[in-house]
Amino acid sequence: MFPRPIEKSTPAARVAYKTLLPVALLFWLLPLLAVAVFSVKPDADFTSGNYWGWPSSFEALNNYGKVFFASDMPRYLLNSVLITVPTVIGAVALSTMTGFALGIYKFRGNLLIFFMFIAGNFVPFQILMVPVRDLTLEMGLYNTKTGLVLFHIAFQTGFCTLFMRNFIRALPFELIEAARVEGVSEIRIFRYVVLPLMRPAIAALSVLIFTFIWNDYFWAVVLTQGAESQPVTAGITSFNAQYRAAYHLMSAGSIVAALPPVLMFFLMQRHFIAGLTLGAVK
Amino acid sequence: MAFPRNAEKDRIMTGLILNGAIKRYGEVQVIHGIDLTIDHGEFCVFVGPSGCGKSTLLRMIAGLEETSDGTIHIGARDVTQLDPAERGVSMVFQTYALYPHMTVAENMGFGLKMNGVPRAEIKQKVSEAARILKLDEYLSRKPKALSGGQRQRVAIGRAIVRGPEVFLFDEPLSNLDAELRVEMRVEIARLHQEIGATMIYVTHDQVEAMTLADKIVVLRAGRIEQVGAPLDLYRDPDNKFVAGFIGSPSMNFLDGQIEGEGKVAVPALSRSISVPASLCSGTGAVTVGLRPEHLELDQSGSDAVVELTEALGGVSYAHLVCAGGEKMIVEERGDHRTRVGDRVAVRFDPARAMLFDAKTEARLR
Repeated sequence: MFPRPIEKSTPAARVAYKTLLPVALLFWLLPLLAVAVFSVKPDADFTSGNYWGWPSSFEALNNYGKVFFASDMPRYLLNSVLITVPTVIGAVALSTMTGFALGIYKFRGNLLIFFMFIAGNFVPFQILMVPVRDLTLEMGLYNTKTGLVLFHIAFQTGFCTLFMRNFIRALPFELIEAARVEGVSEIRIFRYVVLPLMRPAIAALSVLIFTFIWNDYFWAVVLTQGAESQPVTAGITSFNAQYRAAYHLMSAGSIVAALPPVLMFFLMQRHFIAGLTLGAVK
Repeated sequence: MAFPRNAEKDRIMTGLILNGAIKRYGEVQVIHGIDLTIDHGEFCVFVGPSGCGKSTLLRMIAGLEETSDGTIHIGARDVTQLDPAERGVSMVFQTYALYPHMTVAENMGFGLKMNGVPRAEIKQKVSEAARILKLDEYLSRKPKALSGGQRQRVAIGRAIVRGPEVFLFDEPLSNLDAELRVEMRVEIARLHQEIGATMIYVTHDQVEAMTLADKIVVLRAGRIEQVGAPLDLYRDPDNKFVAGFIGSPSMNFLDGQIEGEGKVAVPALSRSISVPASLCSGTGAVTVGLRPEHLELDQSGSDAVVELTEALGGVSYAHLVCAGGEKMIVEERGDHRTRVGDRVAVRFDPARAMLFDAKTEARLR
């Protein structure tokens, strides 16, 4: 069997494995742990230089309380939700339809259109920074959540289409033919035959896009400014005032901002069902 | 069930007529002008080796493949340009194609529901079909909780509930194991008797074709080789291909040489046989066809050596190698059967031999 199970290797290798694994894990998680520890330290620890030591007092309630009740954080979080959720819905809805069209129908230019969707993914988004900012300015969408949502949907649909089209291609085509022979219209085939079978793909893609968009910093900074439209990733920096940085609050804010994608994953987990099409054919 | 008057009339005469049906994929032509008439209520089987176009032809009838040229009529209607849904056909797929997210009842009623049939009527038709197919207990199960045979029955049930004019079966039994295949074959035959609709059935298995069909259509490379009742094809094949395809085990073919009026030399058996004079004259090469069941062996000669025997119980098949290396299969019945290594003589009634032109493979008659 490959890889060989660790229980079958030499004792020395096993000991090395068992000691090195936790060390590697610790290194890997160190930045995260540091942020978690920072978020419960009092402000004084940073001014007195106690960065890596034990917190002089535990200020979790105080810090997180400030984040939620004495800052713009709730506002930023709400912005993030209002940007991320419509983007996920928009991109996934559009891509199920484009994926259906490209995956099911044979027409001239099908592959060409598909490649154009894919090609969009290879454009480094940094080179779009200035043109997209100009475009949103001209359209009056600069510094609005709508502008950010529209841009995100446009940019994510390419990848989503690739994902959905390939998933639909893998469905047994006889299901569609069977429905056609039974006189089911194409739109109803999409709604009642294909869509229910795409649940795992929709769940996976939703989580993925949710995480992408929630964690987006680049476009948030380029296309928005200020608490009325910026998402939480960009908003966290507002704890940095001109003369001092509130590291404890930034850390607490970061932890709060990191939770929704994790939550999203657990919420959608039960939809990741392998073998949903089991029993369809053979 | 009450049908409107003209639909009823249509139903009575729902045969199927193919007229010069051609299928091309780009430049490549795969179906070369099929002319075929299938009568109402007939069980017609398309049979042929894989790649012969039998499935393509069925899909053209279903409307899943466009017909490049020629026409298809179902009953009195020209359906060549119609969508599958408008043709009044139901299709059972080799892979069943059940909707995995629906229960058995939902699977069977889906087409009706999508076409706006009232709920009570759907329920009645589904339970009627379930009764015919003995699926009553499974109506609330999902396909994944069913066995292969049950899934196939659901697929057939889905075809029945729509009350189609023509049933199309695309190799429906090839995913089942041998035992179930025999069982389902009987069920399909019974179903045909019970509902009496026109059925077109595609298979590569000549046993299925022989046992089910009223009419067999033997296809090769996109052309019809012969059409006829099962026993007619068996007794009177038009060419070497049909002769070899129908009947199991296949007909033995030996090279022959015309030796003048009514005489054909068969070097493999080192003898000449007499045939009706009208069959051959002059000289030339022919192929002599002999069915395994028309041959007899006896131990008194040495035409061939037994290479292998297959004992099936009631019959055994002896595989022979002739002196010149030609192979033959002979059916044996009774208590005395040959063993591997035996030297045997092959006897047969020359009247049973069929002659085929060695070049064109056409039957000489």
